[in-house]
Amino acid sequence: MNAIEIVKLTKYYGKICALNKMSLDVPEGTIYGLVGPNGAGKTTLIKALVGSLQPDSGYAKVLDLDPLKDKWKLRQQIGYMPQSPALYDDLSARNNILFFGKGQHVPDLQKKVDEILSFAELTKRANDAVRTFSGGMKKRVSLCCALIHNPKIIFLDEPTAAVDPHLKMQSWILFRKLAQKGVTIFVSTHQMDEAMLCDQVTILRNGEILAVDTPQNILKLGKTNVKIITNNEEKVSVIDSTPQSLADELKKYGLEKNISSVELHSDTIEDIILSIVQEKEKGNKS
Amino acid sequence: MNHTFIIARRVLTQLKGDRRFLALSIIGPLIIVYFLKLLFNTFPPMIDVKSYTMPFTAFIVHFLSFILCAILLVQERINGTLERMMIGGFSKTSIIGGYTLGYFGLATIQAITVLAESIWLFKLSYDTKTVVLLFIVIWLLAIVSVMLGIFISTFAKHEAHVFPFIPLIILPSVFLTGLIIKPDGLPLWAQIIGKCLPIHYAVNIIHEIIKPTYTITDTLLDYGILTGYIFALLVLASLTLKETE
Ligand SMILES: Nc1ncnc2c1ncn2[C@@H]1O[C@H](COP(=O)(O)OP(=O)(O)OP(=O)(O)O)[C@@H](O)[C@H]1O
Ligand SMILES: [Mg+2]
Repeated sequence: MNAIEIVKLTKYYGKICALNKMSLDVPEGTIYGLVGPNGAGKTTLIKALVGSLQPDSGYAKVLDLDPLKDKWKLRQQIGYMPQSPALYDDLSARNNILFFGKGQHVPDLQKKVDEILSFAELTKRANDAVRTFSGGMKKRVSLCCALIHNPKIIFLDEPTAAVDPHLKMQSWILFRKLAQKGVTIFVSTHQMDEAMLCDQVTILRNGEILAVDTPQNILKLGKTNVKIITNNEEKVSVIDSTPQSLADELKKYGLEKNISSVELHSDTIEDIILSIVQEKEKGNKS
Repeated sequence: MNHTFIIARRVLTQLKGDRRFLALSIIGPLIIVYFLKLLFNTFPPMIDVKSYTMPFTAFIVHFLSFILCAILLVQERINGTLERMMIGGFSKTSIIGGYTLGYFGLATIQAITVLAESIWLFKLSYDTKTVVLLFIVIWLLAIVSVMLGIFISTFAKHEAHVFPFIPLIILPSVFLTGLIIKPDGLPLWAQIIGKCLPIHYAVNIIHEIIKPTYTITDTLLDYGILTGYIFALLVLASLTLKETE
């Protein structure tokens, strides 16, 4: 079943077309990524789906409900994390999460809040005013507020912008766990490593969909430059970004005929920094 | 109803967390009343300043509660917490109700402190019954002001949008409602505008209360209208508070 169904959704802000006859289906239990440059229409699309924006034409169905007409039924089942932190600066992290939790009748709320605070690694700062938090910490509190009532669909507008790599990975591990339980996650991002973790990715620009595919298939559209230097002579060739193409290319230079695929994996700078931090933390604990 | 209390509690916790705001909104009116005293001191003795004191005190509470509440709600819109509350399952009426209830406390403190200061500064010798009645009027007016602030804030996208409403609502309140001059001499249209403003009724009641011959039945209608404003503004605000862009 489709968790989200969008048909010819259109929204103009004056002359600017933020959504242009957009149509899209999102299957239940998937992590659906929304990428595209600033002003592509990601936030506008999310707002239309959570029911805080009146589209000019077309319609959207979320869990088979109309975001505007069936808002009361829908609001119990969706979680929404806006792009800005949208928190009460004078309240503590705990009180912010409690407040939004109370809006949704969460059973065992206190326990749930403790759990989610510990997941976000905010237990120590839980009673400090959000005003005193760093940008990334505010994002984490905001994410907690969106997840507190176990929603069936979660709309996340750049949830991990400004969040450190360790907690970003933790968040994505949680998203994956939730998706396995059947929760649908609709997430916008500017970070391509995050896009790679989605089941499906939609590329938006000027309110239009440019492509919808799995990140693996999108990646296949890319090319790899192979640069071979022999006796100070440089030879560059451009091949498809698949392990098979790389093996074929290297055979020209004497790679054994029976090797069919060559894959390289170097740590990214993110991986390296993360492992340095984790080493240090292990050292501190022991 | 439950949601209304949740929001009211949150507003109170927030006020407690913002000491500076709390201090300003209580000390602010006290300072203005003191300025009023300095001003009245310059008047020649044949003017009976005592009959102006209480209406002006009420006006100060009216003005400040209105601005503070309007600006705080506009801030919620800018921060995105208003949108988040609505998508998070809070209804428009519970938001408006919660805000009013939350400011109830602040309005009460404002009304008490300002009334006490005025009575002390101007050496007013009212009996207990008069003081209690004065308190009730100022307090009712404070709640009307909070509602008015909520209503006006629904038209504002940011703080600057609130400012044009200040002269629009406040200046007619000063000139057309009997605060300074009796409105009887004004042209009819100006009298009608004056009668649309809530402070008109508060000033009416105050003028009656401080007369020695006062009985409560003289002003029952004005009390009723003032209370009516609270409900009318509640309905209006829930109609104009937008859930969607
Ligand atoms: N309230 C508004 N009033 C006028 N125009 C708006 C408004 N909100 C968005 N727009 C316009 O709609 C278009 C899409 O904006 P949107 O916020 O959806 O982009 P986005 O993809 O979320 O960008 P970003 O990556 O910067 O968050 C932009 O051209 C923007 O200028
Ligand atoms: Mg955006």
